[in-house]
Amino acid sequence: MREVILEANELSKTYTIGERQESVLEAVSLQVEAGEFVVISGTSGSGKTTLLSILSGLDRPSSGRVTMAGRDITELSEDELAPVRNELTGFVFQAFHLVPSLNALENVMFPAELKRDPAAKDKASTLLQKVGLWHRRHNYPQQLSGGEKQRVAICRALINTPKIIFADEPTGNLDSENSRSIIELLLELHREHNTTLVMATHSGEVAAQADRIIQLHDGRLQNGGGVG
Amino acid sequence: MVNFRFLIREMLEARHQAAIFILCVALSITSLVALNSFKRDVHQSITGDARALHGGDLIIHSHYDFSPGLLAAVNSLEADIAGKVRTWQFYSVVRNSGDETLFSNIMAVEPGYPLYGTVTLASGAPFAKQLAPGTTVVGRELLDRLGVKVGDMLQVGKTKVKIVDVVTHESSRPVDIFSFGPRVFVAAADLTAMDLVRTGSRVEYEMLLQVTNQDRLSQVVAQLQKAALPDQERVSTFQTARSGLKRFFDNLLFFLSLISIFTLLLAGIGMQSSLSALLRQKEKSLAIVRALGATQKFLLLHYLLVVLLYGFVGSCLGIAAGVALKYAFPYLFAGIIPPEHVSGLGLFDIAQGMVLGFLVVLFFTFLPLYRLREVKPNVIFRSESSQAPRGLVYYLAILAGFSFLTLLVIHQLDDSRTGIYFMAGTSGLIVLIAGLAKLILLALKRLSIRTLPLRQAFRSLLRPGNSTQPVIVTLASALSVLLAIFLVEYNLHSSYVESYPQDAPNLFLVDIQPGQRQGFTEMVGGNVQLHPIIRARLKAINGEPVKRGEQRRRFSDSLTREFNLTYRDALLPDEVVEAGGTLYKMDKKGHAPLQVSILDTVAEMGDIRLGDILDFNIQGVPLKAEVTSIRTRTKSRLFPFFYFVFPTEYLQKAPQTLFAAIHVEKSVIPQLEKKVVAAYPNISVINMAETAVQLGGMMQKLSAIVNFFALFSIFAGALIIVSSILATRLARVREAVYYKVLGGKSGFVVSVFFFENIVLGLISSLLGVLLAQGGSWALCHFLFDIPYRPYWAASMLLVVLTLLLVVGVGMTSSISIIRQKPIVFLREQTIE
Repeated sequence: MREVILEANELSKTYTIGERQESVLEAVSLQVEAGEFVVISGTSGSGKTTLLSILSGLDRPSSGRVTMAGRDITELSEDELAPVRNELTGFVFQAFHLVPSLNALENVMFPAELKRDPAAKDKASTLLQKVGLWHRRHNYPQQLSGGEKQRVAICRALINTPKIIFADEPTGNLDSENSRSIIELLLELHREHNTTLVMATHSGEVAAQADRIIQLHDGRLQNGGGVG
Repeated sequence: MVNFRFLIREMLEARHQAAIFILCVALSITSLVALNSFKRDVHQSITGDARALHGGDLIIHSHYDFSPGLLAAVNSLEADIAGKVRTWQFYSVVRNSGDETLFSNIMAVEPGYPLYGTVTLASGAPFAKQLAPGTTVVGRELLDRLGVKVGDMLQVGKTKVKIVDVVTHESSRPVDIFSFGPRVFVAAADLTAMDLVRTGSRVEYEMLLQVTNQDRLSQVVAQLQKAALPDQERVSTFQTARSGLKRFFDNLLFFLSLISIFTLLLAGIGMQSSLSALLRQKEKSLAIVRALGATQKFLLLHYLLVVLLYGFVGSCLGIAAGVALKYAFPYLFAGIIPPEHVSGLGLFDIAQGMVLGFLVVLFFTFLPLYRLREVKPNVIFRSESSQAPRGLVYYLAILAGFSFLTLLVIHQLDDSRTGIYFMAGTSGLIVLIAGLAKLILLALKRLSIRTLPLRQAFRSLLRPGNSTQPVIVTLASALSVLLAIFLVEYNLHSSYVESYPQDAPNLFLVDIQPGQRQGFTEMVGGNVQLHPIIRARLKAINGEPVKRGEQRRRFSDSLTREFNLTYRDALLPDEVVEAGGTLYKMDKKGHAPLQVSILDTVAEMGDIRLGDILDFNIQGVPLKAEVTSIRTRTKSRLFPFFYFVFPTEYLQKAPQTLFAAIHVEKSVIPQLEKKVVAAYPNISVINMAETAVQLGGMMQKLSAIVNFFALFSIFAGALIIVSSILATRLARVREAVYYKVLGGKSGFVVSVFFFENIVLGLISSLLGVLLAQGGSWALCHFLFDIPYRPYWAASMLLVVLTLLLVVGVGMTSSISIIRQKPIVFLREQTIE
């Protein structure tokens, strides 16, 4: 049996909207093994993105706990979470979220520079060459197409060889051809580096390629929470 | 059709930018409304009635007694002249029955003075009835300073006159700004007995005439002008006559108008910047409205209404502030204009303020509103907006707006040439700063920086589409003008008031008659240099007549004015020959032929060089001399200096007076004054140290007024900083979130923000300082001709204050994101 790298216990999330309390997640527990490709699936509004952001430490649950690589990250402050985000995890978002002031190469280098990696530029160059964007390295985000932006975002997520990559609808803003190539790229890198991949998507086609599907409905886990 | 709900919702959103916009509108009109109203007060109560100000329909002025030809011409116009009165005005020292003396402004008048206007007396009696030969009417200050009262005797020159009343108001001198000494009215019949008016005495001779038929005024003037000695006797009407007082107020109000216009421009930039930020912030919601079928016209109409309503609120605030400001004017202008001359704000001022406010709003919001047509529904799907191509209409509209602003400036300054220069200068300054900012940003782009937060800060500033350059241009131009005002003001102050040198003469003694030379020299202790003064005019340079307005003017000096020539055979201790080798060129026999040595300042003023031939008119006698040397001086203007110096033998016999500038212990001054006045009543003793203090006090008052008006500009500059920072807040917050998602600690995010603000503030303030120093140096050197002090401490203070403001506002507006979970922002972005 492989090591459990990510574990959620009884996660709940409630938002206060005006005077109304709205529950988005209710008592969600799950485990993810190292190297596993897990898809969080569900209809729009089922709580996929909320669960992903809590699992990745971008958000805090109203109750419950999250353990990543054996460390409880639930109560960590923003500064305590910084090294976790920098070295342990990588993010790929639907809206790309590239730093607009940096060109493609600088965007990819940035997380490695944050941890003062002297090989940041070499690693970023290798990754950009691998995804076929070396010729676009000096372009700024607004000069790149959607597919190119997402490939840069994937390189950026991978530069510090994280143990887990969180991807939130990574193909949501892309056409079908770009979507296919992005998913292929993610899977290839996942296999190559044996990185754990946790992806929120409502695409059945993508989900079909996952090791396991965690199904959410109205904030509750339908199935797939345990290690299979 | 107007959708009122949409309108109100849009107005209430983005409160920060709306508040800045409203404040900018208020600020743009506050000082202008108050100033325009004050201008009208000054015009109505002080300078408006030109006949009362000058005392006649026709004014004949001279520094010499009138020529027989002119007097004959006046007599020949008997049928045209209903009233005629002569006046003699000069400074002299008067004495009470004891030993106390006072430098006073003496005005001898003939019966019938004034022909127009009034001289109001404390007793309420008519001036003409009170002032008779053997009496005097004096200013209250004289009573206080000499400890005398009505009924006492006053020694004026060689005679004593009885004080019969006190002047409370003169329509020809409604305010008492630059008179160094109280008024002393005496009857013209006493002039001879006083024995104060002699050859070469500094007296202003005036003849005031009242015409029988106003329609004949121009013919009468023409006839008198024909008879007057050119360059010596000036004939003018009440409309064309010069008034020092009017000129002073015109200049002061003009300068304050310039500052207010500058405030208006800054506030306008603030309006534009805050509205642009507001629209950028709402770009997506506007795109949604467009996607739902709203036309460009719908958006334009609603946002036009939004800015007009903001403008209305701002104008009301501005007018209210203008009213408050107007109430402060009597305190602000204390000592310059009596409080009873300042009225409140009238309906006209309010209406003018409203119109001005709306015009300003329309002009400065045109560009941001015009860009509303660029809002396309597809922005909903794309995070970056694209700019639509700008057509001819866009550029024509900018041109129209610029022309409108120029007209507004011309209207405010009441001077088309200066208005155009102002706009050209302002545009030039902006273009220069924009160019320099571009160069600096390009240089920064090439910099290789190893420290990540600093590099990231630079990257953020250089981000494509960032508003760094406009922010720098706005900030730097505002700072440069504000600092330049300060630098010029302080340089003028230090040159004329503060830096009164320890060894500078503190007593000037003028109008010493040649026959008094020996007695006077003995009285003051022997060791004193007496400078002969021969009054003359420069008629031509190398045969080219010197004409008013044609030669270069420096510090309001003119080659057409009357000069004081002197003669001597040696340089003064603070003089050095700059060109020509020696003071005079000697012939083979060691004799100096007729020639003239000139001062470098006058050489520059008239572009006069060695070898040039100057034609002088010395009280009717022509004199031609070659320039053989050019002198320069090593000391300040407080030491005596002469533009034109001749070898002794050529001017020795010309009509002249003597002038002495001496330095004595302060405690000795009153005694010496008394001795001189007692022995030689015709000699005027001017206490320069006291005059400098008086002048200093006046300059301090004027500085306070200028600083007060400059405060509005500073406030507008601060609003621009706040608005610019708020405008880029979204971009900063986004980047901060990304840094955190990628593993940056709060220290890193704070460092990036800090460096970004510091670099922005540094570039802007240093550019501002550079241009202000350059501009102020040029003004002091070329226009005022005074030594320049850069006041680096003040410049550094400005840099530090700008940095504090930029960093303070920048950090305050961005710091909240550091504690916030990144998902809050990411969710908003995704949901949008």
